[in-house]
Amino acid sequence: MKKKQKKFIKKKSFFFKDYPDPEINFDNIQHKSVKVSLNRTTFLFFIFFSLIFIFSIKIIYLSFFTEKNVFSKKSNYDFVKKRADIIDRNGIILARSIDVYSAGVRSKLVQDKKKLLINLKLIFPELDANKIREKLNSNNFFYIKKRLTEDEKTKLWLIGNKAIVFEKKQFRIYPQQNLLSHILGQIDDNNNGISGLEKFFDSDLKNKKMIESPLQLSLDSNLQFLIREELINAKKDFNQIGSAAFLMDINSGQVLSSISLPDYDLNKRILIDKDIYTNKITKGVYELGSVFKTFTLAAGLENKKIKSSTIFKNLESKIYCAGRKISEHDDLPKDLSAEQILIRSSNIGAVRIAQKVGIQKYKDFLNSLELFQKINFDLEEIGTPLPFRWGKCKLATASFGHGITTTPLQLAKAYAILSNGGYRIEPTILKGNSLELKKQIISSETSRTINSALRKVVANKEGTANFANIKGYEVGGKTGTALKSVNGIYTDKKLNTFISVFPTSKPKYILLVMLDEPKPAPQYVYEFPNGYKHKGEMRNTSGWNAVVVAGKIIEKIGPILAINSLQASK
Amino acid sequence: MSIDPGRWIKTLPNNKKEFNSENFNLDNSKWIDTLPKKNKNISLKSYFITAIFFIIGLAAVSVIKDQTRNLQKEINNLEASINAINQDLYRATLDHDVITSPKNLLILAEKHLETDLISYKKSQIQNLNGKNEVFYLNKTSKEKNGKNIKEISKEVKYKIKQNVEAKIKEKKVELKKLKEMYSKPEELPVALKAKVEKKIKQTEEGLQQLYSDPEGVIRSGRVQKWAAIQVVKAFFGMPIIPGK
Repeated sequence: MKKKQKKFIKKKSFFFKDYPDPEINFDNIQHKSVKVSLNRTTFLFFIFFSLIFIFSIKIIYLSFFTEKNVFSKKSNYDFVKKRADIIDRNGIILARSIDVYSAGVRSKLVQDKKKLLINLKLIFPELDANKIREKLNSNNFFYIKKRLTEDEKTKLWLIGNKAIVFEKKQFRIYPQQNLLSHILGQIDDNNNGISGLEKFFDSDLKNKKMIESPLQLSLDSNLQFLIREELINAKKDFNQIGSAAFLMDINSGQVLSSISLPDYDLNKRILIDKDIYTNKITKGVYELGSVFKTFTLAAGLENKKIKSSTIFKNLESKIYCAGRKISEHDDLPKDLSAEQILIRSSNIGAVRIAQKVGIQKYKDFLNSLELFQKINFDLEEIGTPLPFRWGKCKLATASFGHGITTTPLQLAKAYAILSNGGYRIEPTILKGNSLELKKQIISSETSRTINSALRKVVANKEGTANFANIKGYEVGGKTGTALKSVNGIYTDKKLNTFISVFPTSKPKYILLVMLDEPKPAPQYVYEFPNGYKHKGEMRNTSGWNAVVVAGKIIEKIGPILAINSLQASK
Repeated sequence: MSIDPGRWIKTLPNNKKEFNSENFNLDNSKWIDTLPKKNKNISLKSYFITAIFFIIGLAAVSVIKDQTRNLQKEINNLEASINAINQDLYRATLDHDVITSPKNLLILAEKHLETDLISYKKSQIQNLNGKNEVFYLNKTSKEKNGKNIKEISKEVKYKIKQNVEAKIKEKKVELKKLKEMYSKPEELPVALKAKVEKKIKQTEEGLQQLYSDPEGVIRSGRVQKWAAIQVVKAFFGMPIIPGK
């Protein structure tokens, strides 16, 4: 009940207005006037508040959308890379995208064609005035010049002609020009990689998240330059039609240099469709000759069929297999040890070792070195070795590298495995991309024996690579002289190879030098390690040209590699 | 003021009590003060304060906005400058790598550096170093520090002459002293006298030998060496001092 009474009392106030009172009425009048003024204030306040509210919203709105376009000068300098840089192991730029202007003319807008023509001729004297006149008269848009320099752009801009239009486009600049043409490759007009690294790492180079971090290669542009110079100089002496060189860290598989000549300037957009421009190191598939004898010896040692001191007696000067003659390149002693077979590069001796090993084991050994399958490498241009049909005669010819093909890259990889203690490596062109877990596929003992034999090929008098015996670098290696075949028929044209490992006491680097169709160099003065000089040589084997070039290269790059090794060890 | 109970009484829910009109009589004195006189003043004041607050707020906002706008402008300008500098750096590093590419360096080296140097014997280098002066000549370079080869060779000759002249003067002074000393033999100590006597005897013997066998003397190595020195001296235009 109390609750109900309370409710009732509360409701009382509803009834005030219905019972007017003169006194109250008077006050009500006053109250009304106050009410009116209060309403006015409220209204004004409402208007005022609304304005403030609108203003606040505007301020908040503006705060969210910063005044970039109103005050910023950013737009003038905005440059968004479309591709990441490529740098070498020392941080030297190998490829970089920059904005470049092209200038065009809207002929329809040209008022004084004669004046414009004179101005253009003054800025670009090399331009054909007649052609420009024709284009101006055609009333169509045409380009005056693409890739303008800053100076040229300013001069054109200063003409002040509305008909001249500047078009900004991103171009790829290769500061080293020819130096790494076969490695870097090229891009098309839409900034898509079309060859080499540019194609292989196209998605990585265009990835916006990674665009600011450059792609760092394991290549050293200084070494690359020195080796390239030596190959170019070798052309003067040996007149080869092409050449190649490959330098790799034997333990990590990081490629320090890879050159294939002839090369081309990446900054000039020219059509390169001739075979001679093939990347000989990765794409070229060749018979490489006697360099395979090292594998034959290693197969014998690994399968414990021979020792390096095993003597092979009464070696014939020639043998026949399926009617085909196999002979020696020189007069060699009839009794040779397994090691001497390699040192003197005996074909018949290599055949005898391979026969001792047997087809299956020899084949398995070569397969373990991955010589015949397509290699995984960081480039688009990779060659696939030709399929090889094994047989008795094929075993004999394969033992000295005849009729068996592979790429120089795979050859270098196999030699690296043989020399680094037998550990599998994967050649890579990226810095810090080496295999972490190393699998041993050849015994350390075989590796040591092979290194010792390779050293003797260079250091011993009867060895075939004396010209590469550079003091202080303990160079070891093996020569290979192969005849080139055209459409399956052997010609007298040669492909001379020398693959070297140094220093043999603790191998660190592998250098492959290949000369395509070198010529005898009777004019060249050969200087033997003992100081004896010889001129008028007409022999055209690897020992008389590829080895000489390799020796010169090691002499030049050796100090740099030694310094780098010292720095690395620190 | 009274309330019509007949009109309102039935509206009250379950009101069984009799209606007491007194309960509903209003006490004017009690209620008149409840009219919102005071409230009116308070409300106006609060409106006024609120309005002032908003005006101040508005002014503050506009001032702050203006300041931030200026700051934003400055930031944007700085960002634009940084961008421009970055762009310059971006291009400059590219230029640097183009200029310092091994190929360009080789071209520049061939153009500006002196690579074709003359080989010197070790002894020659030592002699020059002895005087703390290293001279080098280059066959191919026409200019070295703004002087051509002829000028440099003249300078070298002149310096050598000066050195030799200084040495001769030193020797002359020494000779003078010796002459003075030997002019008064009584003042010389006995050992020195014996030494001088011995030397005089040797010289006399030598002279006798020269007169008796002049060819043999000329053939001797010492004389040949002396002659060679004199030839060199003559070549450099130095005065020949007999016996020295």
